[in-house]
Amino acid sequence: MKYIKYLSFVLLLSFVITSCEDALDINRNPLAATTADPNVLLPFVMAQYSNRHTTELGTRIMDVPQHFSACFNSARNGNTSIFLTGNTWGMMYSQVLGNLLLVKQDAEEAGPSSNNVAAIAKILEANTYFELTSIWEEVPYSQALNAQEFPEPTFDEQEVVLDGVIDILNDAIDQIDNIPSEGIFDVSTGDIIYGGDMDLWRRYANSLKLRVLMIIRNKKDVSSEIAATLNEPLIESNDQSALIRYSNAPGSFNAYNNLVEAFFGVSNEAQGVYGPGEVIYGLLQGDPRFDMLISNATGEGCPIGRFPFSFACARIKDNVIRNDLPHMLMMPAEINLYKAELAMAAGDVATAESEYKAGVAKNVAWWGGDIPGAQLTIAADVAEAFVAELPTPTMEDIHNQLYIESFIRPVVAWNTVRRTDTPELRPVPGSNITGILKRFNYPPDEVASNPNTPVNLPTDTPMWFEN
Amino acid sequence: MKRVLLFLLMFISAAISMDAQRNISGTITDTDGLPLIGANVVVKGTSVGTITDIDGSFAFEAPDDASTLVATYTGFETQEIDISNTDNVNIVMSEGTLLDEVVVTALGIEKDAKTLGYAVDNVKGDELTKARESNIVNALQGKVTGVNIGNTGGNLGGSSKIIIRGATSLSGNNDPLWVVDGVPINNDQFVSNGTRISGNRDFSNGAAVINPDDVESMSVLKGAAATALYGSRAAAGAIIVTTKSGKANKDGSAKIEYNVSYRVDDLFVTPDYQQEYAMGDFAKYDSSSIGFDWGPRITGQTVNSLPITNESGPLTTRPNNGINDFFRTGRTVINGLSIADAGAKFNYRLSLGALNQTGLLPGAELDRYNAGINAGIQHSERFRTTFGLQFAKTMSRGTGATGANDPNIVGLSSFSSTLDPRNFNPWIDEAGNQINQAGPTSNNYLWLRNENRNDRDDTRIIGNISSTFKILDNLSLRGTYGYDFDQDNRFFSNRKGTIQRLQGDYTIDNINNVQQNLDVILNYNASLGSRFEVSALAGYNWNNRKRQDEGFAGVNLLIPELFAPGNTEQTIPARFFSNRTLFGAYGSVDMTFDGWATLTVTGRNDWSSTLPQDNNSYFYPSVSTAFVLTEALGIESSFLSYAKFRGSFAQVGNDTGPYQLDFLFNPVTVATGQYGLNINFPFNDRLAFSKGNVIPPENLRPEQQTSYELGAELDFFDYRLGLDVAVFRTENRDQILALPIPESTGFGFLRTNVGQVNTRGLEIALDATPISMPNFTWNTAVNYSSAQVEVVELSENVDRVLLASAFSSVQVVAEVGSGFELFAIPFLKDSTSGRPLIDPNTGARLAGEAQAMGSVLPDFTMGFVNSFDLGPVNLSFTIDWRSGGVMKSSTVDGLQTGGLAQETLLNRDGTFIDREGVIMNADGTVRDNDVPLASAADFWQSLDDNSVSEAFIFDASFVKLREASLSYSLPKRLFSNNFLNGVTLGVEGRNLALLWSVVPHIDPENNLFGSGADGFGVERASVPTPRSIGVNLRASF
Repeated sequence: MKYIKYLSFVLLLSFVITSCEDALDINRNPLAATTADPNVLLPFVMAQYSNRHTTELGTRIMDVPQHFSACFNSARNGNTSIFLTGNTWGMMYSQVLGNLLLVKQDAEEAGPSSNNVAAIAKILEANTYFELTSIWEEVPYSQALNAQEFPEPTFDEQEVVLDGVIDILNDAIDQIDNIPSEGIFDVSTGDIIYGGDMDLWRRYANSLKLRVLMIIRNKKDVSSEIAATLNEPLIESNDQSALIRYSNAPGSFNAYNNLVEAFFGVSNEAQGVYGPGEVIYGLLQGDPRFDMLISNATGEGCPIGRFPFSFACARIKDNVIRNDLPHMLMMPAEINLYKAELAMAAGDVATAESEYKAGVAKNVAWWGGDIPGAQLTIAADVAEAFVAELPTPTMEDIHNQLYIESFIRPVVAWNTVRRTDTPELRPVPGSNITGILKRFNYPPDEVASNPNTPVNLPTDTPMWFEN
Repeated sequence: MKRVLLFLLMFISAAISMDAQRNISGTITDTDGLPLIGANVVVKGTSVGTITDIDGSFAFEAPDDASTLVATYTGFETQEIDISNTDNVNIVMSEGTLLDEVVVTALGIEKDAKTLGYAVDNVKGDELTKARESNIVNALQGKVTGVNIGNTGGNLGGSSKIIIRGATSLSGNNDPLWVVDGVPINNDQFVSNGTRISGNRDFSNGAAVINPDDVESMSVLKGAAATALYGSRAAAGAIIVTTKSGKANKDGSAKIEYNVSYRVDDLFVTPDYQQEYAMGDFAKYDSSSIGFDWGPRITGQTVNSLPITNESGPLTTRPNNGINDFFRTGRTVINGLSIADAGAKFNYRLSLGALNQTGLLPGAELDRYNAGINAGIQHSERFRTTFGLQFAKTMSRGTGATGANDPNIVGLSSFSSTLDPRNFNPWIDEAGNQINQAGPTSNNYLWLRNENRNDRDDTRIIGNISSTFKILDNLSLRGTYGYDFDQDNRFFSNRKGTIQRLQGDYTIDNINNVQQNLDVILNYNASLGSRFEVSALAGYNWNNRKRQDEGFAGVNLLIPELFAPGNTEQTIPARFFSNRTLFGAYGSVDMTFDGWATLTVTGRNDWSSTLPQDNNSYFYPSVSTAFVLTEALGIESSFLSYAKFRGSFAQVGNDTGPYQLDFLFNPVTVATGQYGLNINFPFNDRLAFSKGNVIPPENLRPEQQTSYELGAELDFFDYRLGLDVAVFRTENRDQILALPIPESTGFGFLRTNVGQVNTRGLEIALDATPISMPNFTWNTAVNYSSAQVEVVELSENVDRVLLASAFSSVQVVAEVGSGFELFAIPFLKDSTSGRPLIDPNTGARLAGEAQAMGSVLPDFTMGFVNSFDLGPVNLSFTIDWRSGGVMKSSTVDGLQTGGLAQETLLNRDGTFIDREGVIMNADGTVRDNDVPLASAADFWQSLDDNSVSEAFIFDASFVKLREASLSYSLPKRLFSNNFLNGVTLGVEGRNLALLWSVVPHIDPENNLFGSGADGFGVERASVPTPRSIGVNLRASF
């Protein structure tokens, strides 16, 4: 009996802890969900897009269009380190487009009551594809985001991608037009750009469409599409601007200033991290925006490749480099200046002048106090006087104003200088390329995993849309 | 599981017992007269026998015609004793060579070494404590074949990584399983406060808590055949630790041992700093240009602002750029006390250990306290229980940050010729402000070291209980349960006023890791006739691993040093949870013919919770054989003393991590950005979710690893020269990997079975006793190991996968056709001459396309171990040689691009032509570079332009005098008072000399990644390696 007791003890020890095959049924992550509401997916998409966009592109290529004189790990001299471009590519395809696809699919399954959600997803999708092709030219579009059918997506020509962006925007606008009057899904929480206001989304979609058409127009006739778009509601006033807002709450800082404070100390004006390039410094002479944007202790812009902390030159003002600087997706001045450009090209100088002045006025008002969180203002009479005294513009003037309007927005500014060849930029010291950077190389992860990735071209090779 | 039970019961019923007709009894002791507990004693040619009890006694009934007893005990020579004319024997066993040893194999099963069909390296406990290491992993360096050991540098309590027979897994399963007293323990290492490359704090791997003073022996099981019974978790090998058990003194009294070591540390390798040029740029002096010495030549000129003090005065240099003023002498005190005793029905050993260290880095401290008990109770003749409990409390303070993008990093390239670090003191004023900074954008290093906290409090409890019931004389049942608890609490803070963290922040990371393991094993031994012996086992295993992390970050403190959530403007919580269970059923049969031919067959089936429920079962077999030629042929030669050949084949399956099968949306707290510039959710009061970046798998299969091994063990000249050779090949197929797919699909990875990685290697262990005289013995051993890893295939159109990333310029990848490679950007080269192409516009080298730059793993490693015994004096030393493999050093990058290193003095004044380079002419030919750079500074600073790393990638080969010790045992005649039994005094040293290396300025072993990652070959701002010299005293009572 004693032995049975001992044997029982050993066997009991063996099975007291495990007794059931159900013990294997534990492979469900208690900290993750199998579904997600657009009101939590969209904030991720928008904030992740903005933060990566600013930290990866803003702080790295703002010296390509020479708004800044120098950036860390800059690509201005022609080398877009293959390691660094991967983060932007991954953000756009996986974090933004990948999530938007799921949002879109769920919304379309839900029917017209979620047209607003589907339209927002599509407009953001269109903007992302537009930026992808702006950075790399040929990118996966028609076979993208469908791993099951196209595990190795082919790369579409820029013309195809840009036409596709227009199609997406038309589709989105159509869905907005067909939002039912009742029973609409409430996306006001998740939409951190317009709070669910679909009239403003329609304006942004049309304005984005105009921006894309202006690019396409460089290569082919899209005058009827442009004319039709100009008849649609567009972003007309600064309060309609498409923005992702940052705040002074820790963890919600705009990355331009976050970089300064993380690595140098308080305030760009004190630390001298970002300085204005000589071209924009020159263009803003006599402009009331100068004092909004530039701290002018030294009286000169910064040579390309020089940081103000190591070279005595002007600095970008703390009125710009601040925690709550919004991410500016689109403002109305750009629309007016496009209208001015189109009128000027059509020989309608009067319209060109009025749109030109309207555009400049809106941008002066933007930096002069309309921008959320403005620390400095331009008096209304000063602004009015400045605009009133502007001479009748030339095409170059219009393009120069587009260049100024695109200030501190990396892809918009880069597109502007590549599309218009204006203004004339400074030679880049020690550059490996002729002129300015025209494209990024494809990231190594895509190259390694996708045999359809085109061979990298020299980074000064113009894109299809460039003349 | 019911099938397993049924199987066990059938096994019991099938067992047979044999008649006994004679009572045999006696004792077994070691050469010091100490009883050996648990020694096996059986009648030769049968399985009839028993094990010794607490006082080394044994008694059992043997067949009437029994003539020889065989006594075996781990680490001791097997003894055969004639019992033809006696029923009572007192057996004295001596510690022996491996060939005659009983070694601990998988599941704690002791086997006669000569019956093993695979390689096992056995290291005795006293080998681990000759020159003490705070991390037991490092103590194995040079002492066994087939292992590669790496560590991150000189951080107190840092991790060490051990890889057995090369890296074969692409999914990170390259760490061996650690088993202590039959129970698997966690050897995990988790990153905290950032990433492994961004402000990494390298905290120790889990096995580092093992107190080397408690270790009786360590067995390194290398091939899959050796580890097959452990299942998938030991696919990368296993390290079996047996801790010391209770023994009494010869006189029956309790045995007390005390040892103490005192050690001092200094810098092992110091850079060759230049001392001719001052801080600054463009030959202009700048007192804030710390780590950047491109200033003017130092001629004793007076400057207006001296570094730190900002006073005017003459520029002077500080020897070694002041690193000896900043880094301090580290001190280590190790105390160990144990008491052991044994009686008729019990034995125990209690031990206490204390490790108290201060590190080279100011503010770095480590205190570890160990307490352990091992005990055994003989309930009855047939029933015995042992249990062990190890408790370790580790507290580290001031762990150094490494990598980049963290203000707390202070590396060897953070100093300057004209900066005197002594002036950093004091670093704080009465109001709590930082003072005496080197410049407006740099921190006072002593402020960083004294005001910012990098703390870890780790509580580890490892317990085991094992009961063995002897059902019949040749049939026993053993149940072993183990519980491994780890509570790892980490705290980091940046005090308000720290540049780059001006508003102050703190991070809490509490990691709870629990592993439970149960093995139930039925053992059976029998003889089939007089020449065949059979032993068999069947077992059942349950293993559960659960990890929970609770983290919290508080940003922007209102009141400095008040680390309460309410005192922070922003709080970011974090949480992680994982849980996994594995069931296993296994069996093994050993058949030995006449003692010289053994065939072992094993099989194991695992069921894993992490695999799809309909495909969560996987079986793997192993076969091994051992053939002792000298015994088979009856060779008795003084030339060829022993010859054994062995061979094995094994397959091992493997599962995957938890929660990898479902498509999930994860709540997100961080939107990532470049340079660690993240933003947090809720963002503008909005919560955020995101899909995962991995497409979940379909039809996932278990991984499969197949191994082959052949070996020979030869001894010559009466065992004075021994040779152990092993060749092996491993094929690792169907690895479960998050395979990179085009991100243009919307996902970054697809989890699936992919690829094949082959590893082949050669291990040679040569040991010899060149001199053996009554008063002088010289033992020497040479261990050679090579393992070549080849990635045969990954997946269609995928020929490279990322294993570890080290910022923008360097990655560790697995590449088809080669192995684990450093992937980086080289200079653009002239294809004919191989010389770098120069940009004719600038005179600087052009950047090429990123490519594999060489294996990060060595071609081979060798260890030379020598031991000299001159009476009571023992001198031993170990030399390590690593050959091959490359590393990239960012510290060297900083030293050279910052103009800090001696070699940057070349041509400092005037223009500089890069003579290594060539310029391509218009016709495609090249000419020697004739385009000058403006200065030497431009040359050195251009070397890493465009993320080019080639200039800082080096052959990582080295030869080191790893350790040496000299000990003296006081004559026993001095201790006639029956109180003190022995005293040994010693001098010990580790990392004594870097005898050869081509890596300039740093220790070539430094590595950025901790043991928890498969990153090798990358160094970035490592904490310098210490050289240690100390004394020790060991006394027994």
